[in-house]
Formats: sequence, C-alpha cells, structure tokens
Amino acid sequence: MPHPVPPIGRVVATELKPSTPHQFHFWTARESPIGIGAIVRVEEAERVVYGVVTDGFAYSDLATPLHAVIGSDGDPVAAGAEPSRRAEIRLFSAAVLRQIPEEPLQPVPLGSVWLASDADVVLALRMDSYTTGERPTGIPVGLYAAGGHESPVYLDCDFLLGPEAAHLNITGVSGLATKTSAVEFLLASIFQTFPAHKGSVAALCFNVKGPDLCFLDQPATLSEEDRRLYAKLGLRPEPFGDAHYYAPFKADGVNLNTLRTNDALSANTEPLVWGLREVLDYAEVVLNRDDVDAKADAFIDFLAERVVGREYQDDMLRGKPFRVQSFADLEEFFRAIFDFMEVLGKGGEVWKTHHLATIRKIRNRLTNISTRSKGLVTDDGDAHDLPWGAFRDRSVHVVDVAGLDPLAQDLVFARIVSKLREHLERRDLGVDHVVVFVDELNKYAPADGPDTYVRKMLLDLSERGRYLGLVLFSAQQFRSQVQRRVVGNAGTAVYGRMDMDELTTPGYAAVSPATKIKLATLPKGELMLRHPHFTQPIFVKFPRPAVLGSREGIERFPPATELAFADAVARQLRGMDRRVSADAVRALVDGRREDEVRRALAATRRERAAEPLAFFTACLGRRVNGEVLQGRRGIPAVKRADDGYGF
Amino acid sequence: MDPVNLANLRRVLAVRGLTPASAVPDASGGRTDEACIREARLLEGSALDWIPVGAAEPWPDPLAFLDGMQRSELLAYAGASVIVAGEIAAAVRERRHCRLATVVEERRLLAIGRPAALEAAGDALSGFQLVALPEDEPPHPIRDQANAARALDRARGGLELSIGDRYRARSDGWLVVDGSLTESPVWSADARMLGVAKSHATLPFDGADLDRYLRLPQGHRSSLYVPQTRSLTPVHAWALRLWPWEGKDLFHGLVRIEVAPINGTPAMAGLLSRWLLAERAPISAPDARWDRLLYGIHSVETYLRAQVRALA
Repeated sequence: MPHPVPPIGRVVATELKPSTPHQFHFWTARESPIGIGAIVRVEEAERVVYGVVTDGFAYSDLATPLHAVIGSDGDPVAAGAEPSRRAEIRLFSAAVLRQIPEEPLQPVPLGSVWLASDADVVLALRMDSYTTGERPTGIPVGLYAAGGHESPVYLDCDFLLGPEAAHLNITGVSGLATKTSAVEFLLASIFQTFPAHKGSVAALCFNVKGPDLCFLDQPATLSEEDRRLYAKLGLRPEPFGDAHYYAPFKADGVNLNTLRTNDALSANTEPLVWGLREVLDYAEVVLNRDDVDAKADAFIDFLAERVVGREYQDDMLRGKPFRVQSFADLEEFFRAIFDFMEVLGKGGEVWKTHHLATIRKIRNRLTNISTRSKGLVTDDGDAHDLPWGAFRDRSVHVVDVAGLDPLAQDLVFARIVSKLREHLERRDLGVDHVVVFVDELNKYAPADGPDTYVRKMLLDLSERGRYLGLVLFSAQQFRSQVQRRVVGNAGTAVYGRMDMDELTTPGYAAVSPATKIKLATLPKGELMLRHPHFTQPIFVKFPRPAVLGSREGIERFPPATELAFADAVARQLRGMDRRVSADAVRALVDGRREDEVRRALAATRRERAAEPLAFFTACLGRRVNGEVLQGRRGIPAVKRADDGYGF
Repeated sequence: MDPVNLANLRRVLAVRGLTPASAVPDASGGRTDEACIREARLLEGSALDWIPVGAAEPWPDPLAFLDGMQRSELLAYAGASVIVAGEIAAAVRERRHCRLATVVEERRLLAIGRPAALEAAGDALSGFQLVALPEDEPPHPIRDQANAARALDRARGGLELSIGDRYRARSDGWLVVDGSLTESPVWSADARMLGVAKSHATLPFDGADLDRYLRLPQGHRSSLYVPQTRSLTPVHAWALRLWPWEGKDLFHGLVRIEVAPINGTPAMAGLLSRWLLAERAPISAPDARWDRLLYGIHSVETYLRAQVRALA
C-alpha cells in the first residue's frame, strides 16, 4: 500500500546490534522529528511493528579523537572551520510496542520506518481494544506528541479503577507542578469520561501540605494552548462542580485549621470533628504500638464494648450509671475508678481484672489524643463527619489535614479509609468507586521504619481495594523510599521530572540512559506513563488543570485572619446562611460559655437547619443573666446608748 | 536470477560445463602503475624550487570531488579461459555549505573474458556488460586475468570520464579528480578541474632535483612543470606538501597537482595550493593514505563502497 508520507528512517541490523522481537535500531536523516519517546512504525511485507524510541546515538566517521586534533593542528578554532563536515549518523534504538501479526513473534524486519500517525498510536498502545466498540473504557490522560503529531492517549478505566487492575502512583520532584496537577487533571478527566456502564465514581483527596488542593472548585485562567489541548482530548476545561472541603478546627474549636478560610469559599467548607467513639475504634492508630500490649488491648476493648456509648452501671464506683459519650465523660469515668481504688487503699491495684497501671496508661494515652488533636477531636462528643452513605456521583471530597499533628493525620487517614472500605463493602457509600488521593506517600508508607497501622492500611488498600472499587492514587517525590508492595500494586505509574539520584536506584534499571536523561529534564506538564496495556513507557503532555492553582488561589482567596471567638462563630453560621449578621451573632454569644456556644454551633451544623441563626439561638437557650450578689449584710452591732460597758 | 549472486552463477556455469573458480586476482586492489622517472619540463625558474604558498584559504562553494572504484572476482573457467566478474562505479559528491552530497553516480557490472568463454556462458551472464578480451594469443589463465584487470581499469576510467562529463554538464564549479587529468583531453583543458595524484610511481625529476622534489617542506609547492605523459594532452603540474614529512617518509603528505595549462600560472598555483591546504581537514584517517587523500575524495570512496552490492 503506498504511503502518502515518506519514511523517516530505515531499520539496520548488524551482528553487534541485531534486531530482536523486542528491540530494533534505525537510522534517520540528520534533521528528523525523531526524539526519545517518539513512536514509530516499521513496515515490511505483511508485518507491521510499532516501537518507541528509547535511545539515540550520533557519531561521525572519525575513528579516534586524535585524528580531529591532527586535522586541526591542535587548534580547536581551526577544527570548527573545516571545509567539509564529516559524514555522521543519527542512529536510534527502539523498544517494540506491538507486532502485527502478533504470532509468530519474530525479529523486527529491516524495513522502512515512519513516524506514527494518530491511528498508529492507537494500535501501538493497544488502545483499539478499549477505546472502540459499544462499551469503551478509555480515559484521556494526555497527548503523545512527536514530529508535529499530537495523539490522545487513553488509560483503560478497567485497569485504572478496577476490577482488572487499579491504582495509580506518581513520582516526581516537588515544585514542578507535576504530581498534584497531573492528579487534578486526571480526576477531571475521569469525572468527565468515566463510562456510565461502569457505575458512579467519587474522589476523596487528603490535602497534606499547604493550599495544594484547596481550590478544586475554582476555575483557572487557561491559555489558548491549554484550551486547545483540552479540545484535542475531548475534555471540558472546567473545575470540579461538586466539591466539598473538610478541615478540623484549630484549638479554639471555632476557627478552621485550613488555608481555605476565605469567606467566599465557606459555603462548602465544613469542619471535621470527631468524638470519643470515632477515635476509640482506631485506638491502635494513635497509640504507640509498643504500648498496646495484650492487657492494654483488653482494657480498650472493654471500654469500646461495655462503656463508651452505653449506659454503664457499677455500684461500686457510684450510684448512678455512667453515660460515656465524650472525652470529658471518659475522664469522669476514669476519675471514679481511681477514687474507688484509692479508697480501697493498698489492696486496690486491680479493677475488674485490669491492673491500675494499665488503666492509668490507657487513660493517659487517650487523654493525650484529645490534647494533641485538639480541634479534630472534641471533648463534648458532637462529631461532624464526612457524608458517609451520601457520596454523590462525580463529587470530590477534600480533607485538609495539612495543619494537623502527624498523629492526628494518621488517625484521619486510618478512619476515613476504613470507613470508605466498610461502606464500599456494604455497597452503601453512595457511589461504586472512590479514588483516594494521598500525597507524600513516602511519609505514610515508607520503605523503611516501623510497620505502622497507616502503612498496613495503605498496603491492604493497594492489594485488595480494587475488588471493592476503592482506588489509591498516590504521589511521592522518591518512589524508592516507598513500601515496594504499595507502589508495585499500582497498575498505572506516572513519572514527572525525576531527581538523577533517584534514577540511579535499582528500581529504574530497566529505563534506558537516554530515557533517564529525558526524565531528569522533563518540562512542566509532561509525564512518562506506564499502563498495563502499554508494553513500554510512553511520554505524554497534559494541559494545565482547569482548577485554580495553590499560589493563585491564595492570592485570589487569601485566608481570613484568625477571628475572635464570636466572629469565628458568626463566620461559621454565615457559611450556612449568608444572611446571618455578624453583629447579631456577637450579641448572641456575648457572655456565653464557649463550650455552650460550640455545642450549639455543632448542633446547628448537624441539623442543617433551614434557619441556622434561629436554630442556633434556640440551642443556646434563654440567657440566664448573671445576678450580681450583694455582699451579705452583716448583723449590725447592737449599740445602745445605755450600755454600761460602752459597746 | 540475481546477477550478483556469484555462488548461484557459478553453479549455473558448472551446469553448462564450465569450471567454477574462486581465486581472488591481485589486481582487484586498483589500477597499477609502473615505477619510472619521466623527465618533466620546468615552467617556473631555471631550477626546481620550493615556493611557500601561504596560509590555507577556504575553497569557495561549490566544490565537487570525483572518484571511482572497482572490484572483481574470478568467476569461472571455460576450458583454460577465465571469466572475471567485476563491478565498477564512479560518483561525484558536491560540497555546499560544508555538506557533501552525491550528485552524479553510476555503477556497472562487467563480465570479462574471451569471446568464446563469454559465449559459452550464454544467458547466464545476462545483467552483465560483456567485455571481450583479445584472442591474439592462446588462452592463459594468469595472463588473461591480468588482461581482465587492465580491461576493468579501462572500463573504470571510462566510467569516471562519463561521470565527469555529466557533472560538467550540470555545473561549472570546481571539480577535484582523484588522480591525473591526462586521462581525457577534455579534462586536461577544463579550466575548473584539478587532479590530485597520490601516487608517485612516475616521478618527474631525477638526481638533485628529485632529492629537492621529495624533500619539499610542508606548506610549500614546487616550481610549475609540464609532466611528460604517454597521452598527448598536456597539463601543468606542481608538487604540494600537505603535511610535514620529517620523521615520517619522503612521500608523507606529498601530492601532485595537475591543472589545465590555462591555470598553470604561479598565481593560480599559489591560490589552488592554499585552497588545497584548507582541504587537509578533516583528515581521512583511518585510511592509510590519509596524509594525501582529501576528505572529499575519501567521502566518494566511502559512498561507493557502501553502495556496492555484495558479490556473494
């Protein structure tokens, strides 16, 4: 079949550089559009071979550098003035992506080489198997670009979100807008193109540093070039329409511990507050594993099953039953035990088979949680959580843990992922698939160090999550520093610009030297991609995400200054109803006890009242005006004039 | 049938009663020269002199280089007569903006033998241009091989002439020929052709002049002279030392330049010598003749060798 475009090269094979079924070499003219990562097609007789360029060589007929020195009399200036340029070669090595026919698998024939067209890219990457037909499952991930060609590259959502394979891992140095941008773009792509026959999907992102993911619902100003790329990929450049933000409070219990505190963003920014019940279920996360021996475990189980959230009656401790709902209640319960033991005196070292030292240890650790995680964990028991069971299709939920203590971050990860898993197992989350995005994976699932609960949880998620529709999108700067099984289970791997030191680690031994150099110098917006359908890594570029970046976001929506208690309460209420007046709230809370106000605010939030201010006012109850006590008037001395003693 | 597949060809010839051969003739390396002295006539001064040419100057574009190649292989015997298969090729590569590109080329396959031997081979030699050897003496395999080598030489020379003419028909730029211009009266008179002879089998002087000729310092040319040739086409010539010979060999870097008489003036000889000095780089190493082989000529040789089909 005649080709409308001329070939750009020709396969060569020598004894030292033979063609094999998986590799071949070809030469091109000195000026050619071929570069590392370019996809090429070789045709000879009835066989078509697709390959991706992995290395390039150029050399001249100069046998030894000494000849160049002799030829110029040792003068480098004269060397540049040689009247004839030496004959030279541009020789490229390519790794085979696909052979048609696939059997019998044979060495690549010595045929002409063409730059791959759009149709060739589809075939070379085996995308024809999932981007066509009645039930396509392609998700655009970027554009393969070479020699003026730009071809969309698709991931197979069966291999990205399960059930065939799942999970995605991104590696790249920080500060080059690769990891977070790539995830934001890919999530947007998934939300726009995830096929209806595959069900519903939502995303849950942990914002672990700064304002990285704080503006997913705000549109970015895109260049014409970015818009062109979106059009080429068949995507709409728009922010996430259904985004929800959750952040714990600061220690004051009313100001949110997030950079997304601008008034204009408060409507979908909600507090994340957990009580004793939520924490106790994940005690193993927050307690040092060394502390939680069998005795401590037994006492925690006792608390969880018999005491917390129930009515617990022990006449020895006190006459009326305990109702432990909060850390404050728990402290009261512990106090009662210690008082009782103290009364027993010397014989009082064991209470209900639990040694006093164990009880003290658990009490100290649990109390410590509410201290270290103040703002996330509330003493008064009014929790505000994610909308378990009510996740909507194409909704994104961002949990901002950037300002949290590492212990509290672990608690948040563990509990949220576990809850997702529980709900997905019961199929009552509201969606069929959830993408969980965790940045800084080397911190949460390190290759070395203790086997923490969070690491085990991430490992479990990476190994078994795909069956549930629970998919891990993870990112880190150094892949080599992450638990191998966690990244190894990621069906799709993405690499942004890499640190050269990282590229020298054994995990990159299969990457050619030229590809390593390209990885070390990748510009913004370009990635190397591994996917189960692609037999070799592929380079793609993607447009800037259509959501506001962190720096611009902070400039456009500067965080509100930390407010006084009353003003912070007013802002929370205004977030529920813009009509709420700050003055009215200030007047309402003036003179009230802060814990009362916090409780009323939590109740208002929980009930999602139509008239938040009215509900809040009702919760606060009637103000009991303080009564200024007059100093008791003493009984005046009886002073009689006729007192003979002169009193 | 592929005419180049000599193994097949030998089998076919064997079927026709000929005896397949396999020896490689000595003459395949190139044309032979007889070492001799042919007294030249000095044109410049009364005695051979060394004349400094000055600093090298770049040759203006375009500049073209012409060369040819030949290879041969004993194919078969028809009785005692030999049949030699040969390939000749010639090309011109033109330099513009420092880049050399082939602009004219041709190659031919030859079957050389006595007419009776070639007739015996019949259509097995289709695809070959047949070259008949003289039959004035009885067949002698060794002598016939030498005659075949000379015939191949002549054929190659003829092809080079043809290629040179074709280049001249398309361009009036300078054309540097590997060897002598005296092969053709047209070349000998061409004002834009220059022959660079690496071979010194024929020397133009003897005695003290020869000593002086062979000890020419680097960057100098000899006095102009008119070489005595067997052909009737006169050219003007001079020797030029491209590289210092001291510590090496008397012939190291020594080339003989031939031009049409119209260019045989001291001024023109100086200019052309300066241009040629600039052509020393890039050197054509690792070729053993790199001290005399201009890179442009080397490029034509490399091109022709790369293009040659395997005589399998």
